[in-house]
Amino acid sequence: MTNKTLIMPTAVSTAGGAGLETETAPVRGRVVKSKIARDLLTFLMVFGPGLIVMVADNDAGAVSTYSQAGAQYGTHLLWIVLLLLPVCYFIQEMVVRLGIATGKGHAAMIYQRFGKWWGLFSLVDLELVNFLTLVTEFAAVDLALNRLGVDPRYGVPLAAAGLALLVLTGSYRRWERIVVFLCMLDFAWFAIAFRLGPPVRQIVKHALLPSIPAGGITPELMFLVIAIVGTTIAPWQLFFQQSCIADKRLRFADVKWARLDTFLGACVTITAAVCMMIAGAASQAHGFRFTDPAQMAADIGTFAGPAMRDLILLMMINAAVLGTTAISLSSAWAYGEVRGWPHSLQLPWREARGFYALYLISVAAAAGIVLIPRAPLQLIILGVQVLAGVILPSAIIFLQLLLNDKELLGEYANKPWNNWVNWTIIAVLFILSLILAAQVTAPNLFPS
Amino acid sequence: MKTTKKQFVVVHPLDDVIETKVDTEALGPMAMTRSVRFSLLSLRAYLILMVLLVVYHVVILAR
Repeated sequence: MTNKTLIMPTAVSTAGGAGLETETAPVRGRVVKSKIARDLLTFLMVFGPGLIVMVADNDAGAVSTYSQAGAQYGTHLLWIVLLLLPVCYFIQEMVVRLGIATGKGHAAMIYQRFGKWWGLFSLVDLELVNFLTLVTEFAAVDLALNRLGVDPRYGVPLAAAGLALLVLTGSYRRWERIVVFLCMLDFAWFAIAFRLGPPVRQIVKHALLPSIPAGGITPELMFLVIAIVGTTIAPWQLFFQQSCIADKRLRFADVKWARLDTFLGACVTITAAVCMMIAGAASQAHGFRFTDPAQMAADIGTFAGPAMRDLILLMMINAAVLGTTAISLSSAWAYGEVRGWPHSLQLPWREARGFYALYLISVAAAAGIVLIPRAPLQLIILGVQVLAGVILPSAIIFLQLLLNDKELLGEYANKPWNNWVNWTIIAVLFILSLILAAQVTAPNLFPS
Repeated sequence: MKTTKKQFVVVHPLDDVIETKVDTEALGPMAMTRSVRFSLLSLRAYLILMVLLVVYHVVILAR
């Protein structure tokens, strides 16, 4: 591989869907001399949206859910997390094809192919759940800062300001590089699990052999399983990755690399989820009772040292920051697409004021709510988990219909085996959401 | 991505010529059969019902 850069003037004939103007721009390329170097460099250039969407999915709510699962049931639920690896890959892979084939975001596609009525419903669902999820992200930042001895009245606004600066650079590449760096910090979960982990044999056994924890199937177990599924696959991910791919202007030739990016992202996020569960299991093994992940970090600190406690708290903040930037962007991209506003991270503030303003308002309002004394944060967190679980099957059905739209996708439309896999996933998600509904309406339906 | 005989030029998507994609606006709304339309309406009704259930549950918990 060389560092030589070629600049070839080329006429740009078609404008993208993100408000970018038609222009005559030079094509900048890097020269390499082997096919391996070509493939590696191409992958590195395409790499990003898949990793970001997957790692950002391990947000503050996910840290809380996985560590709670570990703290209550040890490593017994590892097999469920592992089972979710192909599920989240298959769903996001459909988004990759849709994004590359159309060059537009998911909200725009629903509006254009299903009409305004359906588009409006999908948008309202997304914006509502996204905003509530943002509140939970800042709630986690608040909890972690308190444990680190930092006053949240200063720390939370500082985090919000950092998140604002992250997108205001007018460069997609700059935003992506910073966020990929933050994603890489997630590897610290591997170190945490390695330091705290139970015997490898037990982890492998519970990951590969499905087992029910002692005590059998209880409402608490069912609720946690639904929460694990709900936190691993969230509606905002569909909107985020498609818009991200459209903003990055991925090409048809990039499909296989974008798939690899998504698959690697899914592997990283599921492995990190396993590590979070192992951390929870370690606190359980030392006799601690789970209340929240910040408390869990403090408990772990008593036997693994203050450095381990601080590392877990910092990872909580990192998870919340990643979740916030991805979720806020999915809201801003979706709204911008539907309203026809310029909506690209490549655009400076003055050219995409509505898009950036929506991002900033989402972040500021969510941070503001967390700072309100005695805000019912736990109730908001519970409501968000349930709402996301309820909305998910509906969001995936629109995706499935779009992926079977041969007029729209041509050769990129779903194959019969894709449909079998996806309808099975949708059926399972519906059953889980029905169980959730049954638990809400008739809590005594499931015997304890 | 452009290739020559002995070397390859790899171009970042943001530096490349903007590709022509499917003209989704020209396609218009998707043709839906009655059963698909009915299924989507049922889905919408189910979703509204579920959201109301969640709100009810949250209000009960808040008391």
